[in-house]
Amino acid sequence: MFSKGSFHPNNSTVDWKKGTIHAVLAVRSAFLRYARVRKFRGGSRLENIIQVENLQKQFANETAIEALSFTVKRGEIFGLLGPSGAGKTTMIKIMTGELAKTAGDVQVLGMQPAAFQTARFKSQIGILSDNSALYERLTVYDNLKLFCKLYGAPISAISESLQFVNLQGEQDKRVSKLSKGMKQRVLLAKALIHKPALVFLDEPTSALDPGNTEHIHNGLKQLNAAGTTIFLNTHNMAEATALCDRVAFLHEGRLQEIGEPQALRYKYSNHAFHIRTFDGKKLVLDNVPENAAEIAQLITDNKVKEMHTDNPTLGDIFLKVTGKELVS
Amino acid sequence: MNISRICAIFEKDLKDFMRNTSLLFMPLLPIILAILYSRMGESEEMPIMMSYLVVGTVFTAVSTGCLMIMMAEEKEKKTLRGLIQSPASFIDIIIGKSLVTTLLTVISLFISLLLLGIEPFLNVKAIIALFFTFIFFLLLGIGIGLFVKTVAMTTAYMMPILFLFGFTPFVDFLNLDKGSIVLKIAYAFPIPQLIRLDETGSWRHVGVVALWMLGAALFAYICFIRTRKDD
Repeated sequence: MFSKGSFHPNNSTVDWKKGTIHAVLAVRSAFLRYARVRKFRGGSRLENIIQVENLQKQFANETAIEALSFTVKRGEIFGLLGPSGAGKTTMIKIMTGELAKTAGDVQVLGMQPAAFQTARFKSQIGILSDNSALYERLTVYDNLKLFCKLYGAPISAISESLQFVNLQGEQDKRVSKLSKGMKQRVLLAKALIHKPALVFLDEPTSALDPGNTEHIHNGLKQLNAAGTTIFLNTHNMAEATALCDRVAFLHEGRLQEIGEPQALRYKYSNHAFHIRTFDGKKLVLDNVPENAAEIAQLITDNKVKEMHTDNPTLGDIFLKVTGKELVS
Repeated sequence: MNISRICAIFEKDLKDFMRNTSLLFMPLLPIILAILYSRMGESEEMPIMMSYLVVGTVFTAVSTGCLMIMMAEEKEKKTLRGLIQSPASFIDIIIGKSLVTTLLTVISLFISLLLLGIEPFLNVKAIIALFFTFIFFLLLGIGIGLFVKTVAMTTAYMMPILFLFGFTPFVDFLNLDKGSIVLKIAYAFPIPQLIRLDETGSWRHVGVVALWMLGAALFAYICFIRTRKDD
């Protein structure tokens, strides 16, 4: 048993008080170190930032999502592709705690849905969905300032995020005066203003012109290169091809295919050479050794005007897998 | 609770309120009513019931009415979703959203009571009871604002609230029997409890108002939980 005297040699009350304070401070700093380590392990260093297992979501008599399982790795751009009504938005709503799941397991940043309402979870994610909106009577700046303060981001983040969405110089405009495309860009700026570790984007470029779409795509690539994981919902196959490290096809609430775009294109290619000759002939030759001599002869005779391998688009693959067009 | 998040919501709401013409004139309603009452029978002493009618109008039109419309608008335009998805907690959002209404209620109440005579309200029991009543009306506004689907629907709730909770003292003019059940129920409402408090000085009436406040808190919390999910 420790007595006051066994802790401190001179036995005075002042030293005993000092000792107690030191002990309390030591315990406190140990606790803070432990909390920092836990926080570090909890979200930012997880290999799988999103883990979904056998997820099901039922609305009354309708099954929106059925036995869905996939993971999203840290630092990747993951695209969920599917036509309208496939269950993409429902998926984002479940992962952000907006909807309750019917069955299965969802972990986002290592946390269960019960923890989704905590400030720690919310400050690590950014969301752009069909439920995102702006205060119409306020200016662009006032809207972004509100979210800067709510997320504890510096005010300088406003100009950075406006630059990101190519809206510099528009900050004093009232939101009600903006076009649909501009509003969409302000919403994107709002979702990214606090530099989240994970971003959920639901059709982020749906209302944008090609120039701004490309600007946003470049920005998202830079954001991803800086370490942000992006979960992208889209039915735009060009967008998915341009941005995504991996894509998953969702159709009628079921996952039909998942993989890297290039790998999927190779998998669903019929591995044939498509050749067009100068005299207008079109040839399709399988990529097999037996055709090598014929192809070589065409090249030698300088007859080949155009030659390429068969590369199905993600839209073609979706059609092949589900029997339905990606954009109906 | 996070002060900077509460201040951010307050700042946004204040700017939004100043540009919202449909809300801008609501705090003037009880003041106009107070001017009219104070001019009626200038030589006679103002009955306490008239003062509490104005208090009821301040609380229903400003505390409940403004907040109800502001909340319903946030919900209808889906901006509330942005607040819910942010790190702001339920308490941050509720307090932040209530601050503008609180400011307006205090200004409107103070001016109205100055016009009608503030003396009967300058005692601890009356101030505590007024505070509880104010919180009750505030939470009622939050709850209904979250409960309705559109701003237009708030108009359907405004009239019953005004008559049930704001103009309850008028029940005395219905010439009902003293033992009538309607009268008994009406006397249990917050504003008649404030009038009884003025007459008797009993803490019991403060307690009844506190119960109303707790009930409204529960109602607002249930509505918020319901809004948080999109099922």
